[in-house]
Amino acid sequence: MTGNIKVGRPQVRPDAPAHLKGVHEGNALGNYEKQPGHLPGGFSTAARSTGINPRDHDPIDPAMPNLSPA
Amino acid sequence: MTIRSKEAQETRQLVEMSWDPITRIIGNLGIYTKIDFNNNEVVECKSTSSLFRGYSVFMRGKDPRDSHFITSRICGICGDNHATCSVYAQNMAYGIKTPPLGEWIINLGEAAEYMFDHTLFQDNLVFVDYCEQIVKETNPSLLRRAETTEAPHADVHGYRTIADIMRAFNPFTGAMYREALQVSRVTREMFCLMEGRHVHPSTLYPGGVGTVATPQLFTDYLSRLLRVLDFIKKVVPVNDDLFDFFYEALPGYEEVGRRRIMLGCWGSFQDPAVVDYDYRTMGEWGRGMFVTPGIVLDGELRTTSLVDINLGIRILLGSSYYDDWQNEEIFVSHDPLGNPVDRRHPWNQTTLPKPQKRDLADGNYSWVMSPRWYDDRTGDHLALDTGGGALARLWTTALAGIVDTGFVRATGHSVEINLPKSTLLPEMRFEWKVPQWSNTIERNRARIYFIAYSAAMAFHFLDKAMAEVRAGRTKVFTDFDVPDDAIGCGFHEAVRGVLSHHMVIRDGKIANYHPYPPTPWNASPRDSYGTPGPYEDAVQGMHIFEENGPENFKGIDIMRTVRSFDPCLPCGVHMYLGDGKVLKQVHSPTLGTSVSG
Repeated sequence: MTGNIKVGRPQVRPDAPAHLKGVHEGNALGNYEKQPGHLPGGFSTAARSTGINPRDHDPIDPAMPNLSPA
Repeated sequence: MTIRSKEAQETRQLVEMSWDPITRIIGNLGIYTKIDFNNNEVVECKSTSSLFRGYSVFMRGKDPRDSHFITSRICGICGDNHATCSVYAQNMAYGIKTPPLGEWIINLGEAAEYMFDHTLFQDNLVFVDYCEQIVKETNPSLLRRAETTEAPHADVHGYRTIADIMRAFNPFTGAMYREALQVSRVTREMFCLMEGRHVHPSTLYPGGVGTVATPQLFTDYLSRLLRVLDFIKKVVPVNDDLFDFFYEALPGYEEVGRRRIMLGCWGSFQDPAVVDYDYRTMGEWGRGMFVTPGIVLDGELRTTSLVDINLGIRILLGSSYYDDWQNEEIFVSHDPLGNPVDRRHPWNQTTLPKPQKRDLADGNYSWVMSPRWYDDRTGDHLALDTGGGALARLWTTALAGIVDTGFVRATGHSVEINLPKSTLLPEMRFEWKVPQWSNTIERNRARIYFIAYSAAMAFHFLDKAMAEVRAGRTKVFTDFDVPDDAIGCGFHEAVRGVLSHHMVIRDGKIANYHPYPPTPWNASPRDSYGTPGPYEDAVQGMHIFEENGPENFKGIDIMRTVRSFDPCLPCGVHMYLGDGKVLKQVHSPTLGTSVSG
C-alpha cells in the first residue's frame, strides 16, 4: 500500500537502485588527481584526451593555454 | 419585506463550459467554468488535473546521485530545468560547488532553453489565439480595425498593419510562425552543445558538467546565437505592436486575466564568483544570480532572500486527492541557520495519495496540491503565480536593481536589454518597463522580452566562459562523496516559472524528495482556506470580449488567459459545449429566505 493506493507485489526491493557500500564511485574524492592530464588549479594537458603521444598535442609555447583536443 | 426581498433576487442564467483536457506535455489540465452570457462574465472557474505523478513517492530509497536524471523526466519540455535544479540541491547536500567554467556552461544551456521554449510557446502556440484566422472567428470587428491600423514599428519588422502581423502568425502558413519553428530548432542545437541532449541532459551532473570545453564549443554556440538574433530583434517590436493594439482597440482588455500582483521568482543563472551552495549564505548568493529571485506583492518587492522564500513555502491541501500528513514524520525541524521549518514545508511533506471521484461542486477535484507562500507580516497564505515565468523574472529583477552585466541592466523600475549587431540588424536596446497590471497581455509581452534577456545574457556568459578557456582553466567538474545524512534545496526558474527541489538524504539514500515546479503554483485548486489558485482567480469574474454567443462560443479570452500562464505547452484544446446545460442560480440577499430555484 502506498497511501491508499493498492499496488502489486514489488519485483525488486525498493532500494535496489541505490548505491552499494564498497563499490567504486567515479565521483569519489581524489579521482580528479588520479586521472592523467588533470592538473591542480583546474588546468589540464592533452593527456586528458589521449594516451597516444599526448605531448605532441600540447602547445609549442609554454605560455599558451593548454587546451586539450575534445 | 418578503415581497421586497423577492424583487431583489437576482437570477442568473449560467452556462457550464469546460475545456478538458487543455493538453499539456504532462498531466491533464481541465478548466471548468460557469459563464453568464447575459452579462458577458465568467462567474466561476475551477482548474483540475486528472493525472497523478508520484515522483515524491517513488524517489524514496533511490541513490541521490540519480535524482537529476530521474526528475528530468518530470517534463518533456523543461526537463533540463529540473535536472539543473536537482543538481543545485545535490550540490548543497554534498557540500560542493561547480567550477566556474562548468557553471558558465550550465548558464549557457539554460539561456538556450529559455530562448527555445519561449519562442516555441509564444510564436507557435500562444499566437494561434491572436492570429488572423482565430480573430476572424471570434472578433471580426477587431480584425477589420486591424486591417487599417498601421504597425508603429513597421520599419523594423516589415509588417505594415496589425492585420499583417496577425496573418504572419497563422499556423503553418504565416511567415513568423514558420521562422519561429526554425529558431526553436537552432536554439535547441545551442542547448545540446552545452548539455549534451535536449530535453534530458546527458552531460549535467552534481559538481559540474561532462561537456568538453573547447574554443570551438563556444564559437558554435555564438554563431547560432547571432543567427537567431535578427529574429529576436524583430519579434519584440512585433509583440509590442500587437499587444498595444489590443489595449487600444478593446478598451477594458487590461482586465482580462488580471489578478492581484502576487508574483514569485526563484532566480536563475548562478554567478560562480558568488555561489557556494551553502544554505547559510543562500541569501547572498541568491541575490548574485543573473535573474534576481524575489516575491513581488502589490507592486512592491517583498523579499529577495532565498532563505525567506524557502521558509515561507507551504503545501496546502483542501481540494486535492491526498490524505493529510499531519501525523507523519518531520524530516527537517530546523534549517541550517536554526530557523524552524514548518510541517507543511516540502522538506517535511509526505505524499499520501487518495484516489477518489472528482467533485467539482463542493469537494476535491484535482491531483494538484496548493503550494502557497506564507507571509509572516500578514499571516496570509499567498497564492503566488509566476506570470508564465517571464513576468515574475523581469519584475523582480527590475525592482531589485542588482543585475548589471552591460548586456542587461536592471534600473529599479525597468530592465534594459542591449543586443549587439547581428547579420541584418544593427545594435538595439530594448527596455522592459514594469507594467501597471499582472494580466494576460503583460504575461505574454514579458515572455518575448525574456527571450531578448536570455540572448543578451548568453553573450555575457560566452565572454566569461571564453576568458576561462583562454586562461587554460578547463576544469568543469568537481569530485565528491555522498554523505550519509544531509539536506539540500535547489532554487531555479523553469521556463514557465518557479522551480524548487527539496531533498533529504539518510543512510546515503533519498529519504524525502519534493520537486515543486511552476504549474502546481499556477494550476492549484482551492486550498484549505478556500483561496482559489491563480488560473481560477484570473479567469473568475473576467469580462468576456468575444463577439460569439453561447452557440459558437470559442472561449478565446479564457484560453488566452490560461495560456498566458504557459501551462506546459497547451498543444491542443478539446472543448465541448453540447447544447449548453442551463443552470438557474438564485441569489437571495435575505438570510434565512428559502427560495427553490
